[in-house]
Amino acid sequence: MCDQTFVAATFGPCDSCGTASPLMNIYIKNEPINYCSFCMEVMACQGLQKGETLATLKKECESLKKKLEEDRGKLNDVELHQVAEKVEVVGALSIKTRRVLKGHTNKVLCMDWCKDKRRLVSSSQDGKVIVWDGFTLNKEHGMSMPTTWVMACAYAPSGCAVACGGLDNKCSVIPLSLDSNENCAAKKKTVAMHTNYISGCTFTNSDMQLLSCSGDGTSALWDVESGQLLQSFHGHTSDILSLDLAPSETGNTFVTGGCDKKANVWDMRSGQNIQSFECHESDINCVKYYPSGDAFASASDDATCRFFDLRADREVAVFQKDSIVFGASTVDFSLSGRLLFAGYNDYTINVWDVLKGTRISMMFGHENRVSRVRLSPDGTALCSASWDNTLRIWA
Amino acid sequence: MKDGIANNSTASISQARKAVEQLKMEACMDRIKVSKAAADLMAYCDAHIREDPLIMPVPASENPFREKKFFCTIL
Repeated sequence: MCDQTFVAATFGPCDSCGTASPLMNIYIKNEPINYCSFCMEVMACQGLQKGETLATLKKECESLKKKLEEDRGKLNDVELHQVAEKVEVVGALSIKTRRVLKGHTNKVLCMDWCKDKRRLVSSSQDGKVIVWDGFTLNKEHGMSMPTTWVMACAYAPSGCAVACGGLDNKCSVIPLSLDSNENCAAKKKTVAMHTNYISGCTFTNSDMQLLSCSGDGTSALWDVESGQLLQSFHGHTSDILSLDLAPSETGNTFVTGGCDKKANVWDMRSGQNIQSFECHESDINCVKYYPSGDAFASASDDATCRFFDLRADREVAVFQKDSIVFGASTVDFSLSGRLLFAGYNDYTINVWDVLKGTRISMMFGHENRVSRVRLSPDGTALCSASWDNTLRIWA
Repeated sequence: MKDGIANNSTASISQARKAVEQLKMEACMDRIKVSKAAADLMAYCDAHIREDPLIMPVPASENPFREKKFFCTIL
């Protein structure tokens, strides 16, 4: 930068950054301040205290991070799998494909179960959102979105509506009508608006509020009826890829995971980031709460799934194997929380023993990446969505 | 060139400040020991394992997905 706009009366080390440059001599509260022009600019914009610089803040950041690690480490008296050594081993699982849902013409990106334990909604790269009856394989509703890559879909708790969103940067809620002749897509209502793709959405405990997370790095809580933004959550420094709401007994928090390798826990009412976990070595593709709400699991492109306990504030298990080299894209727990189902980019679903940290079995069947696994509300079945254009129900 | 640095600095100073505030807040958290947390997780599993249909399979007649029903469509 060439400063021609002022006459430099002195030259020397800047009081703020220390580099030798032409100095602007001004007086603040009768005290002479000799800053170089860019520190002057910074001070003017930021209201910096005297002596506070980027370097000192960064140093403080590093020392706080180290202290946090130390505090967390002090409580790490034993590993989860050590405590779980006396627990009985889970017997062989007899989980097989029971249904194959065909109908999408392109990759299935997301799915969600209805609370009635039989219906499910799926969304695909082909722009279609289909509501299926899992028992009969009947397609109850089929809706076309004005965009391809519908990356997120969710069933409303009442079962009367679905929400979906994707590359259109919006999350829309579509009321499902019982009349099969009616065009559902016509009643679509835009609720969430972000400045980048929608990667995940979920209804809160009622049909009235919707939580969305986006590639723009923010997540937000919306009122469905008015479309109003109720709360926004900032803190991620890159795309958010997944979110999960805490199970209802434990209160108003949710967890998000993103491309900045961090998983953050948020308070829905205040918008605050309560806890943050940075243990993964690559993008976090999916986060899911443990059924008790005291812990959550994450799946990442670094081919591991990790288990974090919220009250101990640390990672307590890593689910990995040398033979697993493909990224994990999705996770879900079984009803008791003992089993962790993880879908990988090598077309398989691995079943892990959460307490012991070992792999129990593998589920083969899909012919392309598994994009989403979800347990049915009563825990009797697992549905997996894949890039091979199908969904499978396993039980 | 210094201009570019200046612009990045103003953004990064506010970012660094936010990061420091966030870390200070996280440092105040009440944490429990891993042994206690692990014991609670195990207790939850134990309490609910009998209700888990994937670990303790219910008879096929009660699991609607395992039932042998034949769905034929007339083409």
